[in-house]
Amino acid sequence: MSATISQSALRELVGGWIAQGKRVVGPRLVVSGVGAVREPPLDRGNESRIFYAPLESSEQLALEGFIHPANSMKEFLFPKHEELYGYRITGKGIELSEVEPLRAEQVLIAARPCDAAALPILDQVFNWDYKDELYNTKRQLTSIVTLACAAHDEACFCTSVGLAPDAERGSDAMLFDLGGSEYEVRCLTEKGKALFDGKLEASERVAGLLPGPEKRFDAEQVRAFVKDNFDSPFWPAQTLACLGCGACAYTCPTCHCFDIVDEGNIERGVRARNWDSCQFSMFTLHASGHNPRPNQPARQRQRIDHKFRIYPEKFGEILCTGCGNCTRHCPEGIGVLSVLTAL
Amino acid sequence: MSEQNIVAPASDRQEKFEPKIVAFVCNWCTYLGADLAGTTRLEYPPNVRIVRLPCTGRIDFNLIIKAFEIGADSVLVSGCHPGDCHYTSGNYHARRRWILFRELLQAAGFEMERIHFTWISAAEGHKWQEVVTEITEKTRQMGPYTSLYQVTDAPAQPLPVQGGELPAVRLPDWGGEGEEGLRETCRRLLAEDKVKVVIGYGKRGPVFITRPEDVERLAWNDQCLANLTVYLKRKEIRALGRPAIVVKGCDERALAVLERESQLDRKDLHVVGMACPGMGEPKCETCDVHVPRFADEVIGEADKSAAATAERWKALESLMALPAPQRMSYWATEFERCVKCYACRQVCPMCYCERCLVDKNRPTEIDPSATSKGNFAWHILRAFHLAGRCVGCDECTRACPVGIDLRLLNLSLAKAAEEHFAYRAGMDPKAEPLIGAYSLQDKENFIR
Repeated sequence: MSATISQSALRELVGGWIAQGKRVVGPRLVVSGVGAVREPPLDRGNESRIFYAPLESSEQLALEGFIHPANSMKEFLFPKHEELYGYRITGKGIELSEVEPLRAEQVLIAARPCDAAALPILDQVFNWDYKDELYNTKRQLTSIVTLACAAHDEACFCTSVGLAPDAERGSDAMLFDLGGSEYEVRCLTEKGKALFDGKLEASERVAGLLPGPEKRFDAEQVRAFVKDNFDSPFWPAQTLACLGCGACAYTCPTCHCFDIVDEGNIERGVRARNWDSCQFSMFTLHASGHNPRPNQPARQRQRIDHKFRIYPEKFGEILCTGCGNCTRHCPEGIGVLSVLTAL
Repeated sequence: MSEQNIVAPASDRQEKFEPKIVAFVCNWCTYLGADLAGTTRLEYPPNVRIVRLPCTGRIDFNLIIKAFEIGADSVLVSGCHPGDCHYTSGNYHARRRWILFRELLQAAGFEMERIHFTWISAAEGHKWQEVVTEITEKTRQMGPYTSLYQVTDAPAQPLPVQGGELPAVRLPDWGGEGEEGLRETCRRLLAEDKVKVVIGYGKRGPVFITRPEDVERLAWNDQCLANLTVYLKRKEIRALGRPAIVVKGCDERALAVLERESQLDRKDLHVVGMACPGMGEPKCETCDVHVPRFADEVIGEADKSAAATAERWKALESLMALPAPQRMSYWATEFERCVKCYACRQVCPMCYCERCLVDKNRPTEIDPSATSKGNFAWHILRAFHLAGRCVGCDECTRACPVGIDLRLLNLSLAKAAEEHFAYRAGMDPKAEPLIGAYSLQDKENFIR
């Protein structure tokens, strides 16, 4: 026995959430008009134009025909630019004004399991020594409905970091494509139950096992290697091609570094936080001019080190969900996967 | 000049609109011209705020953008008449830059009726009065500049895709022709110790081969997209010793520009050119450099005829056919996705500054945030710093993880360079760089 929903009923439900004023975010085809976007080194069809984006209508929700959207879900909890507070210089004093966190209910629909699993991982770092109110407020008001993956590409490696195409972690409800425009729904939490309450039909059809990508590396071995090989020639040898952009970090569901900046003029402005990436040369540059990570190999090592040793040792979790976005988006074809498989 | 002086509350602007005009003027001519207008008691509208700079050649194009951002409705840029420059040639340099910059602003969707250029000498108090009066009236009629960085309410119309459309059928997998020759050449170069490292294409992404026995890792197929010349500037690569670099005809143009800009010496590297039938990228459709021209050796041949010049601008035409506010709306929509990962900058062979202007924070010139303001400022800056230098390898567009068609901005400048100056970056290694040179014949029909 299982509970199912037809695609049309699902779209109707999504339309209902939108009508209730919820922000509904899901995979959506972004048509960019002029020109054409290149075919990437890895064949990824048209998915470079599928993005997680707010849906204005339920028809915009894309449910099949792509592996992973070009971005990750994190930006709807931890946006690329977020104002912390405003300031105004008044004579000799400074007036501060609070920025109210957005208090709208939000549903992330058809999230990939690798994106959903990233959220409990991020919860830890945003609630460790300082409870991040902006993140937490959005997190509490967010429900995540995950769509299990029926396909994967050669950049996918969720099985290597302990996840799977049907991993339930981080989801409030899960959808499984049964074919014939029908989905099995598994409600995993109260939030999930509330979303689908009264909308499901009982059915005999149960989703089969989903084939995951082959296991590509052993995370424990990676941890042991990075621990003992800080100065290994492996790093420069494997990362020479890295040009130091932030495409990997900014499309990663778990990368969460940010930089705090003041923007404004002599009279008023805002203090805001922006995404930052450990691959930028400025990331660790000291005011003295010294840079403890002076080159790209050191920065790539840091990325792997943080994901597979530092974060697990501190929080007991690998800071990677195997979504493969870093590999898909690296202009020079590097990414976590190619580094680790080389290892 | 504070923001408060410039920006009136929105409600006031609607009811009683007084145009705000910012004038960037040179110290020696126009500023004195304006001064003369005052001392001779000539009346002109008080709507203009003057920003005095040493010379028009010193006017940073970012300032024009910035003026609009903080609420200017029109901008005036004015300096000495040709032949009259206090520094001999500052205004000639400025003139050439404006010719190019105007085209970029047009492509980005700025309202060009709001940007004015004049020559006003120290003796022309009357002209200053006339110009300011006229601009003020014209701006008053146009109303406040409200479409800046705005997405229009009109439904987003997908532009007809022209010129840039990928072939419906992917190129048949090719590889093999040339691949063996390439490996053989590189094996020889390494074995004879002519070079210490070969910068080439591997199965996925660039590889750096230092031993003759490793040349089997080199690949040559339709996925060899990257422009490898970007690696020549990197310290880690330089440390490996004298390089051989694998280039396609399009990549090779970057070498010509880099050499002209004294960034490399051809004696210090060995260039292995690959004749390329096209990689199926938009740029390949209009390519006319299928066979590298200056390489130390060329492997393979490509039997391809060059496309007509007009073909090169086709992708741009569909954008330029739109009215300005919609062009701006297009970019505002596209830039909304920009996350400022700077992949466009990092993959660019021409972006070799030790520290990019956008990374400078004392003071901050470009907002580092990925907001519409910060993104427009960044993309305009990036494109214009490549004016007359961009070789059209389209690496920025290929690298963009969110699929912004940055190529269009580059194309607008490439078109301007070709139409106004018959100049194509990297085609003639001897040609004088476009920016940095000037001619007395540069057109000035847009300057009053």
